[in-house]
Amino acid sequence: MKPIKKWSGIALTGLLSVSLAACGSGSGNTGNTTGDKGDSASAGGKKVTIELAISKSSQDSPFIDETLLDNFEKETNIHINLQLLPAEQTATVLQTKLAVNETPDLVQYNLASATTDLNLERNFEILDDEAWVSRLENKDVLSAYGHVYSFHISQDTGMQGVVYNKDMFEEYGLEIPTTFEEFLAVCETLKSNGITPVFMPYKDNWAANIWPAAAFANAVEPSWFDQLNANEVKWTDVPEFVTALEQQYEVYEKGYTNADVLADSYDMAVGKFLNKEVAMMFMGDWLIESVAEKDPSISLGLFAIPSGDDPKIGASPLGGQLFIPKEAKYKEEAKKFLDYVASQEVAQQIVDERAYVSNLSDVTTPELPGYKQEIVDNYITPKKTTLTTDAYMLVDRSELYRALQDQFAGSKTAEQVLSTWSDKFIQLMKDKGVEGF
Amino acid sequence: MKIQKRLYSYYLIWPALLIYSIFFVLPALIGLYYSFTDWRLDRLEINFVGWDNFTRIFTDDTLLLALKNTFIFAVATVVGKNVLGIALAVALNMRLKTRNLLRAIFYSPSILSILVIGIVFTPLLRTEGAVNRILESIGLHGLSQAWLTDPSIVIWTIAAVSIWQTTGFQMAIYLAGLQSISKDYYEAATIDGATSWKSFRHITLPLLLPAININVMLTLIGGLKVFSEVFILTGGGPGNASQVFGTIILRTFGEGSWGLGTAINTLLFAFVAVISIPLLIFMRRKEVSE
Repeated sequence: MKPIKKWSGIALTGLLSVSLAACGSGSGNTGNTTGDKGDSASAGGKKVTIELAISKSSQDSPFIDETLLDNFEKETNIHINLQLLPAEQTATVLQTKLAVNETPDLVQYNLASATTDLNLERNFEILDDEAWVSRLENKDVLSAYGHVYSFHISQDTGMQGVVYNKDMFEEYGLEIPTTFEEFLAVCETLKSNGITPVFMPYKDNWAANIWPAAAFANAVEPSWFDQLNANEVKWTDVPEFVTALEQQYEVYEKGYTNADVLADSYDMAVGKFLNKEVAMMFMGDWLIESVAEKDPSISLGLFAIPSGDDPKIGASPLGGQLFIPKEAKYKEEAKKFLDYVASQEVAQQIVDERAYVSNLSDVTTPELPGYKQEIVDNYITPKKTTLTTDAYMLVDRSELYRALQDQFAGSKTAEQVLSTWSDKFIQLMKDKGVEGF
Repeated sequence: MKIQKRLYSYYLIWPALLIYSIFFVLPALIGLYYSFTDWRLDRLEINFVGWDNFTRIFTDDTLLLALKNTFIFAVATVVGKNVLGIALAVALNMRLKTRNLLRAIFYSPSILSILVIGIVFTPLLRTEGAVNRILESIGLHGLSQAWLTDPSIVIWTIAAVSIWQTTGFQMAIYLAGLQSISKDYYEAATIDGATSWKSFRHITLPLLLPAININVMLTLIGGLKVFSEVFILTGGGPGNASQVFGTIILRTFGEGSWGLGTAINTLLFAFVAVISIPLLIFMRRKEVSE
């Protein structure tokens, strides 16, 4: 009896560890949950079902509005089936679907991330010859490598800077700071009045990157990033980068923030502003929109990160575009959907509803909400905007975000953050096979 | 004791073995191959690169830190879960009035989803959270910590949460083991004048060895494979301070380095096998039968 027991035990252990290896090696092939390609038929006139893959976090996308999809189906007899992907796995699931040729017919993603995460050139159709392209006001926000790869009817890129409570600024007689010293003075006044000046939710490490992403881009010319991507200059070469990182840390060190910066997460931000606990946060105008949805009476605004001289507001690359994969089964039907959304009547309706800055010449931009109009007047019209660092990146940045967390945990100095990231950046570029690395 | 007659032929094993081979063994072997390649998101062709991926694992600071954290977590949880598990089992094997209630209470955390545990513990472990408040209220200011955000203690905190969660499960297995020990031994020992420590040391522990073996194996393999506890509580942070193999694999796949990710995974498999199989053989030899 005993030997059998013994060997069965060893076999069990082996089995456990083999199954472990299998799980891991299989993770490149997971996410095939929606295997069947719809109930489609080949001949014209019959109903065709096409697949649109989108992150669950983008459920407010104008392109998956139920009425829009119903109307499209009525008009064209094309049914769009939605594949909602878990937010934190969107990139991995899409990478896998594309790698195993189990492609959806339409994908919603961010153009900038698509170049780093999804291998844009290999996987997606060039849309230069589509009819709607000739009506575009701003082709750049939809283009990469000199071609139009993506579709959107808005050209309203998110703006990043310091989100602030205007009423509080008014109450304490504060002006918008344009230098770091002025910014610290503003913080001091707010703190002495019992308000947490800045909310830093750096448990979500990307949030720690808003300040540097705008400050870095402000410190160098856009061409500097081309040199960086050719390995001609390094992250550690620019003293202003170190200063920018030290400044952000100084705000925390001086006690101008929430106490537990590494334990607080971004999802707490809206509540903090609603409860008037905090006055400012380094974030994008999307936060203002979220707060306004909950309580329109709170008046928030946005100003440029006061890091260097003449600070400009950071413009994030446009997000939430539609793409058509090269391997899509129903390319023509997918293109019909883009045509439908771009048609003057449909596009105007969406642009009005969402208060978009229209990107189509025959669709007019509606009146913008107050904070957006202010950004347009104070920054966009006088050309005081700059694309954030993220817009130039060809590789995954999460290691930089982690190094920033390390800075706040006290285990890295500003210089060490940059040198760690510089090494990782070179490694990632080398792995990617970029020339010069 | 001999088995008189085989009721079923061994051939009946084939369907199960076939499914197991196709869905576990084969992918594992393919995974082994890919761990020697530069398989990447943005490369069209996959090249064989020999030991490159493995050299990189042992020269990358973050990966070495993850290796260290994985072992800290595994050892801490094996010791914690088993020592506490035996202590609880022995205590709750006594004739207490509230015995069944207490067993249920100690077992209950292991039924909870790790997501719930994360939601419950994250606020408790904040610097101004309940744990520190309790410590401060009883005068232990010195012990209050930034449990989840101090890089030097975060992995220990996660191990403690894991111990809290699953010790009850280990306790259940030990209880079953204790109940299979005949009372006769204890009676004989008492007559011979043995103290309760002596009967624990010389009767309970040796006869409990099968249960100890299975529990040590389960907690060790679980500890080396740890993912969800770290992912839910810190996501590997702050920075990379609490990265373990499981979270590093996810991160590496996220960066698009699929070959490297598979290599780390192969290495984890090798570690689990190399550590647990000899340990199992060793511990089995120590077992005694009644």
